Amino acid sequence: MRTLYVQGDSLLHRLSPRLKLLLLAGASVALFVVSSLPLLGIMAVCSAGLYAMLGLSLRDSWQRLRPILLTIVIVALFTLLVDTPVQAATVLLRLTSLMLLAAAITATTGIGAFIDEITWLALPLERLGLMKASDIGLSVGLVIRFVPEVLLRYISIRDAHYARGLKPRPLTLAVPMIILTLRSADEIAAAIDARGLRGQK
Amino acid sequence: MDIRFEEAEARFEKRLILHPLTLSLSERRIGVIGLNGSGKTTFVRMINGLVTPSSGRVSVNGFDTIKDADRVRAETGFIFQNPQNQIILPILKEDIALGLKSRKLSRELTDAAVEAVLSRFGIAHLADRRAHELSGGELQLAALASVLVSKPGILIMDEPTNQLDLRNRNLVQFTIDGLEESVIVISHDLDLVADFDRLLLFHQGRLAADGNASDVISRYREIAA
Amino acid sequence: MVTRDLVLAALFAAIIIVLGLLPSIMLGFIPVPITAQSLGVMLAGVVLGAKRGMIAVLLVLLIAAIGMPVLSGGRGGLAVFAAPTTGYLIGWVAAAFVTGFLCERLVNREQAGLVQGVSFFIAALIGGVVVLYAFGITYLALVTGMGLSKAFLGSLAFIPGDVLKAVVAALAGRAVMAGYPLLPQRA
Repeated sequence: MRTLYVQGDSLLHRLSPRLKLLLLAGASVALFVVSSLPLLGIMAVCSAGLYAMLGLSLRDSWQRLRPILLTIVIVALFTLLVDTPVQAATVLLRLTSLMLLAAAITATTGIGAFIDEITWLALPLERLGLMKASDIGLSVGLVIRFVPEVLLRYISIRDAHYARGLKPRPLTLAVPMIILTLRSADEIAAAIDARGLRGQK
Repeated sequence: MDIRFEEAEARFEKRLILHPLTLSLSERRIGVIGLNGSGKTTFVRMINGLVTPSSGRVSVNGFDTIKDADRVRAETGFIFQNPQNQIILPILKEDIALGLKSRKLSRELTDAAVEAVLSRFGIAHLADRRAHELSGGELQLAALASVLVSKPGILIMDEPTNQLDLRNRNLVQFTIDGLEESVIVISHDLDLVADFDRLLLFHQGRLAADGNASDVISRYREIAA
Repeated sequence: MVTRDLVLAALFAAIIIVLGLLPSIMLGFIPVPITAQSLGVMLAGVVLGAKRGMIAVLLVLLIAAIGMPVLSGGRGGLAVFAAPTTGYLIGWVAAAFVTGFLCERLVNREQAGLVQGVSFFIAALIGGVVVLYAFGITYLALVTGMGLSKAFLGSLAFIPGDVLKAVVAALAGRAVMAGYPLLPQRA
């Protein structure tokens, strides 16, 4: 599967992921505390400037941001309809800034760095005996590993419908896909245990 | 290699799958044959503790499969019937490196070990490939690498040539013949185990024959007839 | 958690992601497109129960957050959590949990098929519609400041599709329980 990470050497690339996530959290709080339109406008321009530092083409950026931007615009229009223009502009600026900042961090932080960070965040939970922090990386890897297999299974089940002259329906597609996929769980789990990958006592 | 079963039996939801069995294994290449549902897979899964005895005891090089499960798993590698389910991370070299994680090696040492084990099976060029893109034969070799990277002394394989074409089947046979590890192989492919040091035949949950390959295979032919 | 539960949750996360890759469909009487991904969220609870179902959904969100476009329509990255509809994503976690929680308590293998189906439907409806929309609408109202009633009005068009999904989830839950039962049973 492709990721939204973009290789590069910008300032944002060089910052540690932990710092970036803290800054994002700080920025999101600031965006929701501030309610003056001019100030929000300045923040939006800054966010856009930060995003522009990535050097992504307009077309690329549009591809990446379109679905979220569309939701924001639709909701802002709806707000305009039921509320005041000021409120609609606030929603638009706030969420667009947040989206740009978040997208900039996603584009400059690799999957591995993210997983290390999340594993680190989960360490206190591990100390409480609630979970094993290293399971996070393992299970994320498992999901990414098996998405193509599940997709192949879906396609072959759909083709089996066509081969027998049946119309594929959500139910008749989903049920065999679920059963066939989950059946391999026993063997995958046995392989993980046999290789001692979770290091149980 | 020193594997011992002492009156070990296996049950699944109270049903007896493997009758109490006492034997010890030390030969370098051991084949396990028998009809479907005869108890072969349960038997080999007991060796590395994936199935634990409901009574009696199983030990590998002196380590009990229940009490010292982690040690037993470090001593025994296991290759499953479907190598598809054995590779669990998206990129081959990441998956293989995972087996070394518990040893906390430096990045350089990990990379070197991964590279070495991939080269050993002639698949170094596949290191960066995605697991789901590998062919059946490549997957079988990748599964071998993923298990042998942590250097178990004993390798257990459940039908390693199942579903392989003739060329890949021969490749797997050639690889098994060249392994320095002790191997225990379940197979329906009698040619694969015909020159092994010892064969075990399972039938209806019991050990039905145990000895040199030609005797055990002819006993199997009688049972299957 | 035993390895098998971890693997089941991870495989179900893969199923939810694949459901998000399928094109959304338009049904004549519902004005908005329907995606199969949120069906996957209900199915996670219905098939795996509360804990594993919730972990499956958390994994999908985590993978989206770290930058993979695994949400329907190719959405991914931290930016998906900056949308006015983020409440629905957060609500997925609770939806899978509540659906699973109710299934574990309402459904058991000895019941007649009709009772099972109705119980699965009630669980999916409460978890996957009532709880989900409670999160989604509250969040929408908060970030836009439009108030709950208007936020509810804006979400209304999506509810029929989700009720329909609860029906599919209930039928699928019964079929999976017959073919490969995994749902933990609690009295």
